[in-house]
Amino acid sequence: MADVFQFLSSASLEKLTGRKAETLDELLNLIKTCPDSSIFYHTFSAYMKMREIRLPYNNDFSYWISNGLNEKALAEKIMATDLSEYNTLRSLRLRLIDIIEDYRNQKSEAFQKRADDPFHLFDIIRVVYLTDKFAYDLKSFREAISTISIYSIYFHFIECRLEKDLQTNDFSTWIESNLNLPDLAQMIKRIDLNAYTLEGLRTRILQLIDRYLEEI
Amino acid sequence: MKAPTLFDYKEVVGPDIIEELTILASHLANRSIKMVNSTAVGGGVAEMLHCIVPLLNELGIQVTWDVIQGDQTFFDITKRIHNALQGQEDYFKEDVFNAYLAYNEKNNDEIDFDEDLIVIHDPQPLALINWNQKRKNKWVWRCHIDMSHPNPQVWRFLKPFVEQYDAAIFSSPLFSPELNIAQYRFYPAIDPLADKNRDLDAVYIDRVLMQYGIPRDRPIVTQISRYDPWKDPVGVIQAFKMARKYVDCRLLLVGDKAADDPESEKILEKVRAEAGNDPDIHILLFSPSIATEINAFQRASDIVIQKSLREGFALTVSEALWKRRPLIGGAVGGIPAQIIDGYTGLLVHSVEGASLGIRWLINQPDFAKQLAENGHQRVKDEFLITKNLKRYLLLLLTLDKQKEQTIFLSY
Repeated sequence: MADVFQFLSSASLEKLTGRKAETLDELLNLIKTCPDSSIFYHTFSAYMKMREIRLPYNNDFSYWISNGLNEKALAEKIMATDLSEYNTLRSLRLRLIDIIEDYRNQKSEAFQKRADDPFHLFDIIRVVYLTDKFAYDLKSFREAISTISIYSIYFHFIECRLEKDLQTNDFSTWIESNLNLPDLAQMIKRIDLNAYTLEGLRTRILQLIDRYLEEI
Repeated sequence: MKAPTLFDYKEVVGPDIIEELTILASHLANRSIKMVNSTAVGGGVAEMLHCIVPLLNELGIQVTWDVIQGDQTFFDITKRIHNALQGQEDYFKEDVFNAYLAYNEKNNDEIDFDEDLIVIHDPQPLALINWNQKRKNKWVWRCHIDMSHPNPQVWRFLKPFVEQYDAAIFSSPLFSPELNIAQYRFYPAIDPLADKNRDLDAVYIDRVLMQYGIPRDRPIVTQISRYDPWKDPVGVIQAFKMARKYVDCRLLLVGDKAADDPESEKILEKVRAEAGNDPDIHILLFSPSIATEINAFQRASDIVIQKSLREGFALTVSEALWKRRPLIGGAVGGIPAQIIDGYTGLLVHSVEGASLGIRWLINQPDFAKQLAENGHQRVKDEFLITKNLKRYLLLLLTLDKQKEQTIFLSY
């Protein structure tokens, strides 16, 4: 019998740090020295908000580099960082530092630019909590996916990797290990988060489940 | 009219948002909050408290709201302090500060502060903390005003009181000063069920427009703002005139005059002079309390402008975005937090930019519709009163654990 899946969710409170950057060097310094929770806020947390309004940017750093400094190429390189590949904030931070430092070799003059509107560094306190939604089998899982909040979808699809040092998402893990449906687990794992809003992601997961049920 | 309940908001924001509030609140059973401000009616803070206090109580948090008392002398002083914190030049004699403290001390004697969390709103009651230094509960100062350029003398006087708090809350990083206490960002928020924002019947909207003599034969471009130089109503007329060489439209300016501002009449004269006898420019002088009519004007508009030159937060932007109106906003104050250029509206920096924005949005209705839809979503995510309820719940859940990055709630 499958283990029950209890859906979790998360919410966060934004903290002002008073720290800001007007140049790439100053931004680099912030990224090197800020707490992990600030990296989380400007990448994972920002990603959730930006997706819902269909912004092409997947984090605050690339948005500011593009709009504040007009360094589109660097913004694109940072945008191409796939958050789903990072299961620690340390590795994500090092990747961001590498990208910006590499850019100095390509276009050192970009580091002379000063933005009119600074990048403001935020921090965050996250609260993770249990919801009253459960799944026991694929049918109840499908029902729950259609009613849980987008925050819960986001938590299990992206944030969970940080909590559990996972290479995949909670849904795929549970479907594979408890329902013994590796094909469906793999299809859900392959969803490109960059292509969907969170509501779109919910719809896509439901489509994959329905298609799987039709085929078996 | 009966005050809305959480059930009513469920229809507007979605059941998942209300469920989330309920779950967070379930971890806070019997916790209590006291809100303290300086007025029970009038102004954005009182309006917001009237909305969130009953909703937090409905969620099971015991919330009380006290209003500090004072006479005209006190409120003249606090108005000067308020204006000075927003950057107005002024010089305060020591007896003025002493009087401010005396009124705060008197209020402190008359209010109990037994709740788990005390939230003091704005500078009027700020110094109450001075007589509560041995407290066991948490105190937070919620600053609703633009503190980006505070008068140094007033700030030197108030800062030591602010730093006695456990935390402070500001609307934007632009407004937050350097402090040795934790600072949080709470965006201001609109109430989607208030008269100013609730859905309106199309027949009612038509009737309001007819009543005020605004024909609906062409696209309507609207700015709703006080007649104040910083809202640049003259610039809006200039942008409209430039745009009308290319697109056919009407301009509607709706606003009130600040009663205490002698400059207000002068700017209204300038606005009328700039408009001349143009029959397509409609200038209405309104009391801000006619909320439902303002709602109708926003909903009847094809484009809403907020072409401010200097701004606090400009919740008129969120109001219009919530109504799915394409927005053109000046890139100042809190407007860029609401308008992400090219995604939830257009940000402009000049009369010419505003004029181009009008032409672009009228000629590209599909693009305008997409901006408006994104704008609605942005407001739903960040600028609704339900989001502020969530922020207060999270504040109560986290104040004892400010050093932690993640808090796991379990039963």
